[in-house]
This record gives sequence, structure tokens and C-alpha cells, in this order.
Amino acid sequence: MGTVFARRIAAAALILTLAVLSALTAHKTHKPFSPFAPDFRTQGPADAKVLMVEFSDFECPACRYAEKPLHDLLALYKGHIRFVFKHYPLRMHERARPAAIAAECAGRQGRFWEYHDRLYDRQEEWTNDKAEMMLAGYASDLKLDMDAWQACRRDPALPALLEAELRDGNNAWVGSTPTFFINGKRFVGFQQLRERGTLFVEKELKR
Amino acid sequence: MTRKEHAALASRLAVGAVLIYAGSSKAAGPVEEFAYILAAYDVLPKDFLLPAAAFLPWIELLLGWSLILGYQTRLAAAAAGALFAGFLAALASTILRGISLPNCGCFGESLHFTPAQAFFMDLCLLILCGFGFQMGHGPASLDSWSERGL
Repeated sequence: MGTVFARRIAAAALILTLAVLSALTAHKTHKPFSPFAPDFRTQGPADAKVLMVEFSDFECPACRYAEKPLHDLLALYKGHIRFVFKHYPLRMHERARPAAIAAECAGRQGRFWEYHDRLYDRQEEWTNDKAEMMLAGYASDLKLDMDAWQACRRDPALPALLEAELRDGNNAWVGSTPTFFINGKRFVGFQQLRERGTLFVEKELKR
Repeated sequence: MTRKEHAALASRLAVGAVLIYAGSSKAAGPVEEFAYILAAYDVLPKDFLLPAAAFLPWIELLLGWSLILGYQTRLAAAAAGALFAGFLAALASTILRGISLPNCGCFGESLHFTPAQAFFMDLCLLILCGFGFQMGHGPASLDSWSERGL
């Protein structure tokens, strides 16, 4: 009887050990990611107590829904948060990369945020076969220098920049968009941001 | 071992392997990521999402190893069956409510299945669990070892 019990305990310990080992084996190292982005993709003071990084995809509906809670949060703590926007165009969204490059080129003319807002506000309008026409239309509406904007879109440095930002996201184990890091703490999707983001920022500001 | 016992062992190993793969993929990743996918199912109260995302992968891992090694085999098969029945109910409810899931979230970020593919897979695994439960542990199991020695 004692032997049976001892064997059962040993078997349970083995199961537990194997479970922990399999999780540890699958665990990838979280490499640090660079919170760097060009100045035109950042908001707020450089020495702010709270650094918030968003990995986002212009074609992702969840990213569009996140805009309202994000704007509310940034408005509430204006001057206290440094916000950095990073591109994370998902592979399943074929128009996300051209949109990111178009926004980047608007940014080089100082109009990133206007272009960014337009892409989200009118997401259903351009996430189809009319994408090319609509992206150019938004640039024209914002009175960008169209020649410079078109030339910028052909800049081979931009796909490389997107790849670097995707790598940053992968290093941070970003799997879904939008993913936010507030002083390193992860919030995935607009619901997590809306429900826990404000409390977390409040806590960080009190530290 | 009889042919039926071989089949039961194969069922146990198959279900166990899937559970271990699913559990380790999710347990190794950020809990917020899995909680985000659970939220998309809209079946759990918001306050339960993070705890569920933290615990569910570990339950899968423990059940997976229990089935592979044949520890408390019938109990593990019943629990795994209940888990798959729960997954099926959750998937069915999203389909009926017209909720569009980009992927089932079954394997974290490592494998993406559509809800329909996940439904079919869970159904097959549920049947295998039923068979495993009916057969109990065979000679190649920790249960057998703890009862009578090797």
C-alpha cells in the first residue's frame, strides 16, 4: 500500500516536472525592443515618466477601435506620457505595408498624425482594390508635396525600416495588434488598454 | 497488448501530444496575448480573462502529460474530454453569434487554425478522449506501474 502511494506521488511529481519543463522549453527569450521611432511618430516630452509604445497595423480593425481609448488616455495625461508609434503590419493584411509606407512619407513632410488619423477614420474606404488611389487621395487632401511623397514611397530604406520594426515587435513577442507597452507592461487590444491602462498609468505616475 | 489496447494507447498519445503542444505554446507566451484571444470569444466575464489565460495552458500541460504517461488515465481522459467539450461550445457559440475570430488561439502564436478547423479538431479529440476513458489505462502506463510494479 505504501509502495503504491509512493509511486503515485512520484508519478505526480514527474507529470508536474514535465509540464514545467515543456513550458520552459517553449519559452522564447524576450529580447529587449527598441522604443525608437522617428520624431514625427512620437508625442509628449522626451523625459516623461511614462513611456508608451504602440505596435499597430493600419489595416487592423482592432487598431482603429483602439484609437478612441488611446486618444482619451493621452489627452488625460497630456505632458506626462511619451507616446511612440511603431509599425507592425501583419502579414495577413496585404495593404498594411503600403499604408505604413504612405504614412511614413507623410511623416517626412510633417503630417504623420493627420495621415495616421485619416487611415484609421476611413479604414473601410481604402482596405480594398482602391487602396492605391485612396492613399494618394489622402496625401493630396493633406496638401503634401505629391512628387516628394511618391518618390519617398519608392525609397528602399522604408521596407527595411518596416522589417526592423517588425523585428522589434517579434522581439517583444507581439502577436496581435494593437499591442501597447506602458513602461514595459503589455496591454493587448483596446479592451485591455481601456480597462487597465488608465489605472496602470496612474500607478506609474505616483511611483 | 491487444489491438484495442494499442488503439487506446495511440489515442492517449495523440490527445496528450496535442494538449502538450497547445499548453506549452500558450504557457510560454505573454498571458495578455492569450487573454486578448479569449476576450474575442466573449464567453467569459472580463475579470476572469487574465486568470483563465494564465491557468488554462497549465491545465492542458498537466492533462497532456497525464495522458501520455497514463497517470490517472480515466480521470485525465474525462477532464480532457470536458475541456474539449468546453472548447466546442465556445467555438459553436461564436459561430452562432456571428463573431469573427481571426484564429482559434488554440496554439498561441505557433499555429493558426480557423474556428471551423479548430471545431473539427476538437471534435476528433473529444471522440478519442471518450475512447481513452472507456479503455482506461493499459499496461504501458504509470497507473499500471503504481498498481503492480513494472
